[in-house]
Amino acid sequence: MDLSGRFGARSGNGVPFREVTGLESLHLGGGDEFRQMVLPENGGGFTALLELPPTRAVELLHSSSSSSSQATLHSVGTLTFPSNPILMERAARFSVIATEQNPNGNISGETTTSSVPSNEHIKTEPAETETSDQAAVEKQNNRCGKRKDFDKKVNSSTKKKSKSSEENEKLPYVHVRARRGQATDSHSLAERARREKINARMKLLQELVPGCDKIQGTALVLDEIINHVQSLQRQVEMLSMRLASVNPRIDFNLDTILASENGSLMDGSFNGTTMQLAWPHQVMETEQSYHHRQLQQPPPQQWPFDGLNQPVWGREENQDHGNDHNSLMVGSASLHPNQVKMEL
Amino acid sequence: MKEEFLKKWQMGLQIYRPLIDNTSVSERRKAIKLSADVAMASLRKGTTCWSRALIQKTATEDNFLVRQMLSGIKAETLINKKLPKVMCHRKIVRRSKKILRRRQSRSAIEEVAAKARKLVKKKTQGLRNVVPGGEFMSNDVLLIQETLDYIVSLQTQVNVMRSIVDAAEAGSERTAYYLGKLKFAIEDG
Repeated sequence: MDLSGRFGARSGNGVPFREVTGLESLHLGGGDEFRQMVLPENGGGFTALLELPPTRAVELLHSSSSSSSQATLHSVGTLTFPSNPILMERAARFSVIATEQNPNGNISGETTTSSVPSNEHIKTEPAETETSDQAAVEKQNNRCGKRKDFDKKVNSSTKKKSKSSEENEKLPYVHVRARRGQATDSHSLAERARREKINARMKLLQELVPGCDKIQGTALVLDEIINHVQSLQRQVEMLSMRLASVNPRIDFNLDTILASENGSLMDGSFNGTTMQLAWPHQVMETEQSYHHRQLQQPPPQQWPFDGLNQPVWGREENQDHGNDHNSLMVGSASLHPNQVKMEL
Repeated sequence: MKEEFLKKWQMGLQIYRPLIDNTSVSERRKAIKLSADVAMASLRKGTTCWSRALIQKTATEDNFLVRQMLSGIKAETLINKKLPKVMCHRKIVRRSKKILRRRQSRSAIEEVAAKARKLVKKKTQGLRNVVPGGEFMSNDVLLIQETLDYIVSLQTQVNVMRSIVDAAEAGSERTAYYLGKLKFAIEDG
């Protein structure tokens, strides 16, 4: 979870995603464009490196003599997504990685920019930054920053199809290389870069939302996504309603949950005395006179049959066996004296 | 992820309890939902757009609760972060675009493409309505990113809540059952 702070361009550090190798990026479906981007051997084609750090220059050294790598393209962490590991893994697939990883210092723009000979192409362009503030700025940069020096040299070390390239300034720019036969003015290039980004992210979304893989077309996929989000929101409401109605009192034991989080869950700790578990008793309690109780105290006498409680909890345990927090709560309540009582 | 959410949510619920003696179901439901939402949004610690927007929204409904929760998790700054962007006035934009487009070519292919684009735009607008803070996201890339993150968070939230509800209901079902049995037995006997 230490990446939780890294979403967006704020930290400007796409480090974890750079570890994704080109192989992973092969998993990126998408069109041929993508594949060309991805395969390190080609090195050519359209490369839209999505660069997060807004202030740093990304330099791509295309010659094989480059000290950092032999590849032409850099891996760029696209989005430093928040800390979900699944998301990380998926977002890492986004990074259009064509080559081996350059050292991180490369992306931070510390590599030898000055030493690069003129015929090497150094592109620095910012990708869309996630911050909305920068969106406008970087759009302007995209337009005016890309020089229209169309260098027709083809890098011999890579089999590129591109006919043009752009020089860059020392600004975080999207590295975009036009493909053969495609328009090379900055507008369309920017648009294409943007579209590629959007398509890449839509792919992630499609994987996330169940049932979206089979759908063709952006609009329908978006439809599905909207439906999914709405259904999730409705589920949250329903669950909160059920929770509110089911029991007026909930005892939670925060300390024990934290403590026993990693521990295994209780098996046989459910004897009558320890079965101070909140819920069945509290439902009872609300029906009769309610009074506070510590969890260790034996239940009121209305429930003489402790044996009944056992099947309850046994059942719960079976239900939630795989479920961390539930069993945690159950376990914790039985294990520890410190409780925080909570009502609802 | 789940554990953190659970912790924060419980903290929030805990805070809520002494504040208001919730007697009505709807109040409790609101409290539960709000605290769950704030807990979920605070997990992101202000890095994502939707989390900030969500906190702002719940703050308008129940400022006190939000403040308490955030102070509980030491993240009071979240409540003040606000997106500086202004919502685009889509009608104005649309009208100006229409004027610009008046003399475009009307070939069949272009019309189809234009319709497809319109449809996509409509859907993205719909997505903005659903995702909290969607109106503030100026570009589609950001929107989709936020949607991704939001969906993931929603799923964890739903999972946690569902498990708690299941456990709670299981407990109460049994006791209700036994209670009924007991009453029955008492009445009979």
